[in-house]
Amino acid sequence: MGEKWGWRKWGFMVFFGIMLLHITAILLFTRGFLLTRTELSQYSQCSDVSESPCLSPEYQNPELNEEEDDSDDEHCCRHHHRNQNQTVNPDIQAQSCWTKPAVDRIVIIILDALRFDFVAPSSFFEERKPWMDKLPVLHKLASKPGLAAKIFKAIADPPTTSLQRLKGLTTGGLPTFIDVGNSFGAPAIIEDNLIYQLAQNGKRVVMMGDDTWVQLFPHHFHTSYPFPSFNVKDLHTVDNGCIEHLVPALYKQDWDVLIAHFLGVDHAGHILGVDSLLMTEKLEQYNGVLENVVEVLESMSGPGGLHENTMLLVMGDHGQTINGDHGGGSAEEVETALFALSLKNSSSSLPCEFESSSCQLEKEKKRISISSIYQLDFAATVSALLGLPIPFGSIGRVDPELYGLAAGTGEPRILGLNDRSDSGFEEWMKSYVNVLCINSWQVKRYMDAYSASSTIGFSQKDLLHVSELYTRAQEMWSQNIKSSLLCNTKSCNTLSSAIMNQIDAYSDFLATVAGLARSKWTEFNIRIMSIGLCLMVASLFTHVYAIKRLDNLFGLYFTHPGNSGISFMAVFAYTIVLIRASSFLSNSYILEEGKVASFLLATTGILQLQYAIVKKKMVLEGLAFILLVPMLKLGIELGQAKQAVNSLFLKFQPSWTLGILRDSQVLMHVVEIMPLLGLILLACMLYKCILCGALKGILKYVVSGTIFNYVLIALIWASDSDLLSLPMVLEAFKGNLIPRIVYASSLLQLLSLAIFQILSRETGSGQEESTVYKALAMLSSWSSTVILLSGKQGPLVALSSVIAGWCVIKLTRFKQDSDSCCTEDSSFYSFPVVQWSLLATSLFFCTGHWCAFDGLRYAAAFIGFDEFNLIRQAVLLALDTFGFSHILPILGLPLLVALLHSRRKAKQGNNLFPIQLCQVYLMYGLIMAVSVTFTILCVTIQRRHLMVWGLFAPKFVFDVVGLILSDFFICLASLYYLV
Amino acid sequence: MDLGASGEEGQNWLLLFDKMAKKETGASDVRIDSVVITPWKALLTHVTCGVGLGVAFHAAHNFYSINLIQNPAKTLRLIWVIEAPVVILLYSLFRHRPNQCSYLKAVVRGLLALPAGAVVNALGAIALGSPMIQNFNRTLHWSLLMSVLTCVPTASVFGSSWADWHRIFAHTKPSGPVEYMICLPAHGAVIGAWFGAWPMPLDWERPWQDWPVCVSYGALAGYCVGMAAAFGFVCFGNNRRHVKGD
Repeated sequence: MGEKWGWRKWGFMVFFGIMLLHITAILLFTRGFLLTRTELSQYSQCSDVSESPCLSPEYQNPELNEEEDDSDDEHCCRHHHRNQNQTVNPDIQAQSCWTKPAVDRIVIIILDALRFDFVAPSSFFEERKPWMDKLPVLHKLASKPGLAAKIFKAIADPPTTSLQRLKGLTTGGLPTFIDVGNSFGAPAIIEDNLIYQLAQNGKRVVMMGDDTWVQLFPHHFHTSYPFPSFNVKDLHTVDNGCIEHLVPALYKQDWDVLIAHFLGVDHAGHILGVDSLLMTEKLEQYNGVLENVVEVLESMSGPGGLHENTMLLVMGDHGQTINGDHGGGSAEEVETALFALSLKNSSSSLPCEFESSSCQLEKEKKRISISSIYQLDFAATVSALLGLPIPFGSIGRVDPELYGLAAGTGEPRILGLNDRSDSGFEEWMKSYVNVLCINSWQVKRYMDAYSASSTIGFSQKDLLHVSELYTRAQEMWSQNIKSSLLCNTKSCNTLSSAIMNQIDAYSDFLATVAGLARSKWTEFNIRIMSIGLCLMVASLFTHVYAIKRLDNLFGLYFTHPGNSGISFMAVFAYTIVLIRASSFLSNSYILEEGKVASFLLATTGILQLQYAIVKKKMVLEGLAFILLVPMLKLGIELGQAKQAVNSLFLKFQPSWTLGILRDSQVLMHVVEIMPLLGLILLACMLYKCILCGALKGILKYVVSGTIFNYVLIALIWASDSDLLSLPMVLEAFKGNLIPRIVYASSLLQLLSLAIFQILSRETGSGQEESTVYKALAMLSSWSSTVILLSGKQGPLVALSSVIAGWCVIKLTRFKQDSDSCCTEDSSFYSFPVVQWSLLATSLFFCTGHWCAFDGLRYAAAFIGFDEFNLIRQAVLLALDTFGFSHILPILGLPLLVALLHSRRKAKQGNNLFPIQLCQVYLMYGLIMAVSVTFTILCVTIQRRHLMVWGLFAPKFVFDVVGLILSDFFICLASLYYLV
Repeated sequence: MDLGASGEEGQNWLLLFDKMAKKETGASDVRIDSVVITPWKALLTHVTCGVGLGVAFHAAHNFYSINLIQNPAKTLRLIWVIEAPVVILLYSLFRHRPNQCSYLKAVVRGLLALPAGAVVNALGAIALGSPMIQNFNRTLHWSLLMSVLTCVPTASVFGSSWADWHRIFAHTKPSGPVEYMICLPAHGAVIGAWFGAWPMPLDWERPWQDWPVCVSYGALAGYCVGMAAAFGFVCFGNNRRHVKGD
């Protein structure tokens, strides 16, 4: 087959076909697996409340209730529907829509990536960390008696990326995983949301800070001061812009809701992590800003003042790990804080029934209590506070404590019941129970609309259960209203408990709905998913068939004597692949994937060492290989230390390594110099290659270009380090110029290689050797970019991968020599190829990556560039993430074949090289595809797993992207190497 | 170290039983210069080794009230301290060329092999990903125990004869009952330890998942299986069949 077509064409066709198959399978599966929640386009309207069985605002107003005392019975809920249209006064409805507004204005200050322990006093934690207690103004306010202020632990839902969280906060829903992809180019929210309701109901919203808001809500703001948010290195633009506009805005009258979104903490975390001076400085700066804001607000909070009835909310959109990453579902990322301060001058605290709080006595005997709140509830609560319709798709409940903070203090003043806090509380309960009634009705309405519009949303059983809960609560409500109305005239004791029961019933219903939504939100389309999975399995069979076909072809060229049985090594290699693939079925093994890979790699190494000892040759290489593996593992552990206290990913902390690195000056210097030394070594190796004279023509220039690039990279790093204290000349290099030169020259190198490939049409003899040099040139031209992107660890990783690759080749070659009967078909190559792929996997983790979105090294995307450009930065990020683990190993794979083959070639006349190259690539692809297939299988099985979005889905995405990228590069390689 | 060879071992077992059924016993390979091993002796040796382990566990539980899970380092120390003399004294009885090598010399060889084998085992463990500096004590005592199970018997029997070590550990081609008695338990211990590492990453949060608790359990279990297998070989197969290694 190949003879007729030419191997290049044949190889390319096969690999391209497999790639297409993979892409189809993955697209199909993804469509079934990562379906977005169906976004309903319905919007809540003010008038909708008439459909609810609850009291509309004018009935909530106690003064009206008192006037209508005698005729109350007519207005109880049964007649309510009918009478609604006649009784509603349009004026009243205009100012208070669904609920009676409890506050007039809200100032929302969002501090991106605000960890819970930034806000909560350190006495709540076992240990006081340097970043704690940096926002003392919040503690002071929360503990000040007579002030309605409180710190909440706000619990977000994963994915904890800013865009998803903003969407979740404003819609009150659960944004699903697929939206993560949109984080780069934030699309406008089309669902009903808080900001839409604000704009619709005549509230003026001022926004300042993160420009994501403007992308999400392009037309909703009255005034907006957006600042670019995507440059991670930029700590101050957004914050300074906010500070500049925030305080002046507080004096103005032209807004009802003010949103200020600060980004500094998020960026400081991304750059240096939580435990850094930068973070402390940022937090202290925020403390100053907040002090200012509170001062201004309090100064105008007197009766008749601008901020008489204003609420201040200081909140985070999500947390972050110690390392400054976020996106997943670990406690550190999910737990953020919310601080609420109502400026209404009265105090009443809720009774303990509502407090899910943990109180802690401060040192000075000040009492700070902290409750928790779900971010899911935010939209509903703020809507209720402002008297707006709750967004249609919100499934949150109005949080009693946050609502109580403002609303609970309002009623007594109107009624003149300040003296008796009990009755004030009763009034508050009445209004709260009505709000909950509306809230529940709205959620029920959404559930009904949702189940009607999408066929496979919630299971019938669950829906029935929810309806039952709602009906029960509603029955209670209709009985309750009577007693409530009776109670207006004379106070009675049973009321309080009845309302309490009612609140419990509604809360139960809402909690059930939220739980149901959390567990079942995504609609998996099992049919499409299984078609995708089947296609994936089919691609595996294609691989196997192609390998077998080549094996047969191989057999035609020279019939091997007897030994057609599969060798032990081959069986072992297949077993290892299967072990690794099956390990993905468990979440623990996915977390420890790097270690599993290095464990298996070491096992293969030990086997090879044993083999080397048997033959009494190459023991040194075997030992070197085995010793290299712990080095890689050390790299993996350091990478995991970067994930840091993120408990999900880390079992123990290699603090000793980090501790040493930080303390000792000498070691600091070693750490500074090591990468440079590594670079020099790499350059020397390339130089030797040039010197030996085998590189001809353009290849020589390409390789020398790489040496030039290495020098440039060394210059950048040298100018970064304080150690060398190089002259001022180097200051010029600090900018973006050098990285760009490196990128450009790498591109040029690749281009010239492509041209070289097109121009030269050599065939026949010397193919192996020329392949070696071509591979060398190709690898070297990629390496400079990849090393630059992966930072100072780059040269060391590159060196160790070179050594490891060399050991693999050497050990395999010697095995080939010693087993003279051994055939070079698939079973011979399977062992080294498996080793190669295990090595590649280890390198992925060794370079500080892991299969989660917080494992992406965003900073790498901004080396050489300050501005954000979607395609450019995405390419750089992909190069950094997959460079060492996918691109270089694949492009380097021909070395394995060529160096092994060159020995054999002397004996055989036939030109078997292309066949073997194809076969090796097919095997490599097969190994990748097997593990991806198992990942997909695992994701299918575990789709209801607790950690599906936190762990399995990111793993799936990484694997899938890696597979397609590998396929792509295998295609390219087949064009480049096959003749 | 033929990790994963257990499957083939199994096959060979079957073959062996076939052979045994045909009563093809040949004493041709029993060397003149080694002690003649009867199945009884083998059984006694293995049982004594097993009893040694049992005594060690018993002592740990009842006299020191420690166990492997809570005090891995101490317990491992106790186990190897008790097991080492048992193994050394026993296997020195089977020393190679008893005429040229005194019993005492064999014992000394065994003692010398203890730290050397520990180094090899520790290196292997580190290569496979055991923590290096943290839990240094545990690694130390674990590798000493592994050394007692793997290297010490060989050293007592063969001393520093490279050819014999090579045959047993590199080729995995033991011949003769003594070599089965050395080779199979040692390989069993290593393979058992390898499998014992598997549960370590699981998130069950059990104390026994710590390094090196489950690895030690795996090694001991593998060792016992290896001893049983060796006894089988000694009993039924004084023939030339050997475990085909890698």
